[in-house]
Amino acid sequence: MGALQSVYRTFAGKHGTGTAAFIGIAVLFWVICLIVLPQIAMLDYSFRYNLPASEIGGPNDVYTLDNYVYFFRGNDGTINTLDMGILVRTLAAAVFVTIIDVLLCYPIAFILAHSATGVAARLMVIGLIVPFWVNEILRAFAFRVLFGSTGLINGVGMSLGLWDQPIDFIRADVALYSGLTYAYILLMVFPIFNAVEALDRNQIEAARDMGASWWRVHWRVVLPVAKPGIASGSTMVFMLTAGALAAPQILGGPSSLWFTQLIYQWFNQSANWQRGSAYAVLLLIVCISFVMMLMRVFKVSIGEIGR
Amino acid sequence: MNRGTGGGFIAIGFSLLFFTFLFGPLIIMVITAFNSSSFPRITPWECFTTDWFGVLFGNDRLMTGLLNSLVIAIGVVAIAVPIGLAGALALSELGPKLRATLYTVLITPILIPGVVLGISTIVFWGALGRSVGADYGTFFYNGMFLTLAGQVTFISAYAMLVFLARLQRFDPLLTEAALDLGATPGQAFRKILLPFLGPAIGSAAFLTFLASFENYNTTVFTILSGNTFTTALASKVRHGTDPSLSALAVIIIGITLIGAIVHEAYARRQAAIRSGTAQRSRIYGNPVLKTLVHPLTVFAILAGAAGFAAWQGSQYDSNACEAQILEEKRAIQQQLLEEQRKRMQEQRQQQTAPTTAPETPGQASPSPFGGAFKPGTLSPGSDAEPSGDAPKSNSPFGGAFKPGALGPSGEPAQETPKNGSGFGSAFKPGSLKPE
Repeated sequence: MGALQSVYRTFAGKHGTGTAAFIGIAVLFWVICLIVLPQIAMLDYSFRYNLPASEIGGPNDVYTLDNYVYFFRGNDGTINTLDMGILVRTLAAAVFVTIIDVLLCYPIAFILAHSATGVAARLMVIGLIVPFWVNEILRAFAFRVLFGSTGLINGVGMSLGLWDQPIDFIRADVALYSGLTYAYILLMVFPIFNAVEALDRNQIEAARDMGASWWRVHWRVVLPVAKPGIASGSTMVFMLTAGALAAPQILGGPSSLWFTQLIYQWFNQSANWQRGSAYAVLLLIVCISFVMMLMRVFKVSIGEIGR
Repeated sequence: MNRGTGGGFIAIGFSLLFFTFLFGPLIIMVITAFNSSSFPRITPWECFTTDWFGVLFGNDRLMTGLLNSLVIAIGVVAIAVPIGLAGALALSELGPKLRATLYTVLITPILIPGVVLGISTIVFWGALGRSVGADYGTFFYNGMFLTLAGQVTFISAYAMLVFLARLQRFDPLLTEAALDLGATPGQAFRKILLPFLGPAIGSAAFLTFLASFENYNTTVFTILSGNTFTTALASKVRHGTDPSLSALAVIIIGITLIGAIVHEAYARRQAAIRSGTAQRSRIYGNPVLKTLVHPLTVFAILAGAAGFAAWQGSQYDSNACEAQILEEKRAIQQQLLEEQRKRMQEQRQQQTAPTTAPETPGQASPSPFGGAFKPGTLSPGSDAEPSGDAPKSNSPFGGAFKPGALGPSGEPAQETPKNGSGFGSAFKPGSLKPE
């Protein structure tokens, strides 16, 4: 409390009492009412039974581990392979999409930072940003138009005689992975670009003069500089992909669910908010611990995200 | 230039491929908006039409959603920008240790999946509403309010990042100087720091507006039974698609492109003015060209062109062409009907004359229609696959004309498949629009 008061006094002395009060109230409201309390409420909710409205607060309204147990054991005590499988598959797919994004974006970020000049560079920046002003749903829809069984790829492929049956790209999840890769490219390009841009060209020249081959230059000189950017971009892409809902709903095959769709079903179809909350908590914990683990492996701190 | 770091041609080629990937899907979607086919596609091309724009504006759910989205987005801008500003200012003054902690707390809403944020918001406000005894009419259970709360949680962090980037370039000595010259701290804030942050306020407002307008993951939970533009759009895409969505994309992409070009004109003008070369430059020195590349002129020209295109489009009538296509479809169907009748007769003759009993008359047939006319499909008591799941069709031909039945294997597909037969999905039940 004392620390907060001294911080407040510093602000008041520097920017005036009105400003200091505004900053204090806004930040506290944000942290407490919008960030911390809702998460606690959700955690609390996930440990309760799904009771009818009349019984809430009554003697039956007690804490339980039921909703979490369900995730592991199902209703009949056997192992709930379905839900766990969906979580694992979601994470694996998110990792896959993240890796593809890194492979696609690293060269572009490097070209943008060190090869493109003048008009070309400006055009590239505009070209990167413009597609992302288009609504997320419409972007997914575009991939449906492209990959649907009457879509362009099937149409062209069959009229060229490459295959004679429409290939079901939706069921094979090709459409979903392409759509997700597309959806978050921008969030990968700019962190890497920001990191690579700081690199002095002379270092590349020097490495080159000393006889390093081009891949060696990238591996030993450029990549270490780009690492924080890659980590930051990967974190965002991974979290957003694992938490994506629109693209899996629109592009996902009928047999493959995304974990967020499972949560959505608990809320909107089964009207079991408690279990939905429990699943949301699970998703949050698993995703955050996964990212933390990777950050430790790659020795990057969370403070570098969003720079 | 690219010596030893990836090669010029490879770099150019890769960039071209990359941008094809970025723009290809959008371009294709835009083209499908003008095809009269009732499913968004390019092949087969039927007629050039602008009717889908009319269908789009006739969609009430989407239009009320649009209104809701605009209200929410304006609310989010009004709340998230000040909160983000406060967060950035707080971070800029704190000691390193406290700063790192607060930064982590404030940045997490960006990383938390939107679904989780949406759920926690409705659960929290619902619980709060219950504890104060509010009933369902109050704002605790109001979708618009909850959406506002849920979106502000993470969109404020975007605004904060914008302000932080700008604050890094602020020279604190300016404030010190103002204080030394007798300004009160409040005056120094209003006259020095706030004007410095001005451009950032603009871009933060733009970013937050866009983020709010586009958000789906959080909104789909917090809006409860209501609709925003994005959720209405998503439910439309999930429950069957038609090219009116492509028409929407045309509008959005058009607005985006105009915005990008005008912004580019503005940025160049600013750069030229700031560098002081404006007078000497070929474009900005010439009075005619100067007015021509002024952002307002650029905007007026582009908006005029878009308006003209829209007016032209609204005048365009594709009915003649569509009627022709319909007529062609009818003719093909008629022809098929004839052939079917003939085949049935042949079949009957074969049955009456068992001496010639070819195993597979369908295969021997020169007909291009594949298995559709295999006798088995047509026999009344047949439980062949296509007739089994014949759609609710107005056509008198039942499942025989289901597109799947025309394919070489007759396998029913999930969507109307584009099959090998030359008729495409001319026989898709829905494609014969009632006049």
